Amino acid sequence: MDLIIQQSINAISLGGVYAMLALGLAIVFSIVGLINFAHGDIMTFGGYGIFLSLAFGMSPVAALAIGIGAAVVMALTLERTAFRAMRGADVVTLLITSFAVSEILKVLFQNTISARPVPISFPAAWSGTYEIGGATIGVVPTVSIIVAFVSLLGLTLILRRTATGMAMRAAAEDLEMLKLLGVRANRVVAMAFALSGLLAGIAAVIWTAQRGSVDPMMGFFPVLKAFIATVLGGLGSLGGAVLGGFVIGVLEVLTQAFLPDGLSPYRDAIVLALVIAALLWRPDGLLPAQNANRS
Amino acid sequence: MTFKKLLLTTTSALVLTGAAQAEDYVIGVMSAQSGYLAPYDGPAYAGFQFCVDQKNAAGGLNGEYMVKTIVKDTRSDIAEGVKVVQEMLDDGAQFIVSSADADPTIAAAQITMADGIPTMTFAGTAPVLTQVGPHVFGSYPADNQQGAVLAAYARDQGLENVYLVKSPDSAYTLGGPEYFGEVFESLGGNIVGTSNYSLNQPDFSAIVTTIKAAEPQPDVIVTWAWEPDFPAFIKALRGAGLDTQVMGGDVLDTPTVRGLGDVVDGVVHTSGGFPDEGSDYAKFIDDFKAATGTTPDNNYYVNGCDIVNMIEQAVAAAGSTDPVAVTEAMAEIENGKGIMSDFTFKGTDRMPLRDVVVARITGDGEKEFVKRTKADPATLPKP
Repeated sequence: MDLIIQQSINAISLGGVYAMLALGLAIVFSIVGLINFAHGDIMTFGGYGIFLSLAFGMSPVAALAIGIGAAVVMALTLERTAFRAMRGADVVTLLITSFAVSEILKVLFQNTISARPVPISFPAAWSGTYEIGGATIGVVPTVSIIVAFVSLLGLTLILRRTATGMAMRAAAEDLEMLKLLGVRANRVVAMAFALSGLLAGIAAVIWTAQRGSVDPMMGFFPVLKAFIATVLGGLGSLGGAVLGGFVIGVLEVLTQAFLPDGLSPYRDAIVLALVIAALLWRPDGLLPAQNANRS
Repeated sequence: MTFKKLLLTTTSALVLTGAAQAEDYVIGVMSAQSGYLAPYDGPAYAGFQFCVDQKNAAGGLNGEYMVKTIVKDTRSDIAEGVKVVQEMLDDGAQFIVSSADADPTIAAAQITMADGIPTMTFAGTAPVLTQVGPHVFGSYPADNQQGAVLAAYARDQGLENVYLVKSPDSAYTLGGPEYFGEVFESLGGNIVGTSNYSLNQPDFSAIVTTIKAAEPQPDVIVTWAWEPDFPAFIKALRGAGLDTQVMGGDVLDTPTVRGLGDVVDGVVHTSGGFPDEGSDYAKFIDDFKAATGTTPDNNYYVNGCDIVNMIEQAVAAAGSTDPVAVTEAMAEIENGKGIMSDFTFKGTDRMPLRDVVVARITGDGEKEFVKRTKADPATLPKP
């Protein structure tokens, strides 16, 4: 029973990070049709923001805030300098642009900061444990779950209860119509990038707190998983992205925990096979967007 | 060395190569400037070039052969590595120094095999890498030497039950723990569990939970995980309240791992060398710092320099720069003089027998010397 509780916490914790990253991808995709593979580098930039803040002697809490802010600034910068000029281009062109931006950022990180991982050391008290029903639970995974859920809840409120959020949802339905109604499209798109940067920054905080280092490739692998999650959930569907993130996280932890040793090298293949099976069953994703983009 | 300096050196080396004289010795160097090998190839190349420059300033190898280097970036891509090795051979390379891992070295060695060009890895430690052919050499203490020394140390400390965390994604991350386990069992210890991870695995909490549930509980956990996987693993382990002793391979001997703070306090790892006060290694660090402004903070720098020493001694013993003669001479070196440590190829499968250091990381981000010894060749696990 303890084992099940602990692995469940692990699964929800990992799923929460994937869900936030997937949601960041989905927000941008739903509005401008961009699958932003530089999203991982925005997360990495947030991680370096934390590292540099700590290196300059700032308090850990201030460093976390700066890390999140750095990710938002980077997301807005990329939107203005790289993606705005490409708006309206087809999906493949946008995809290649995002790969190019991602590669440029990785090389910049490597040559201006370090090719190897740099350590991030938070206070020891932040990585303690507590007991629930005999199970020992880590503070960091618990905080990451709470932060993930609060972030997702906050974003839902923004999207559903604020004028900007409604404009973003309307833009996701029909950007041209939004412009005809007099809404400033650039502002709505920039807001979408800012929110995706915010989610990437929060993910960077959780990720670095759990992993203890930042390297130029830090964001690549989780965003790859998050991309799979958005496809599984339904490209362009915000709810689907969240669901997909949690499904991928749970599948990864369960296969890691319970597959026999001999099968463990096939873990990723098994997870991806299950994703393919789900997409064969529901080709538009688990929770398809209304204007669904078939994966 | 900065990328700009590397480009400058590379360019000048290429220009010089074109005008190479008969007495020049041309060495091709694979050096990844980006990707997962860059953190290892970069320092190794810096140390290598530093000592090449020193030798050339003193009249060349053994005072006879000026060294010309051809340096090419592989981007940590094996296909690119194969391509640049072929280019370097076409440009007249008589010796190839390959990237700091087994897989790119094995790929390079397939290309150099036809002409029997001696090929030596910057720091690959998987003993399987020399199985490609008699022209392939390691330069660093192999994983089976490190595993054997660490296992003997663990048993000396009275540790009985080990849990192995390994990854089948690379020869290094798989082989190290397995060699450790083999020797540990032969010395009376028990393996109480193993877990496999993937390189760049996002999350280690599931593995940590499995370790917590292991019965009996391990009193030591051994992994050859490198960055960023090791920091993620140790953070998850300590974050789950497990304070079990952790041991690992030489890849933990980095400032990044030492900079992780309390979570790595007490972690024990192997290493290729330790700069004792007054040693040749300590002098190398001072000289390198004085010349370049960079303080060598890992063993890849000095090992890069020792590769130059190995080549010089092989060329001296061969009495010529003929590739086959150099290969044969290298394989016969016994107690060759190195800076990190002395080296013996004679009687080995061309992974040099060298000192293995055991070191312990302290909570203040330093490492302390524990012991230095050589593995017993008679009891080394077979690759």
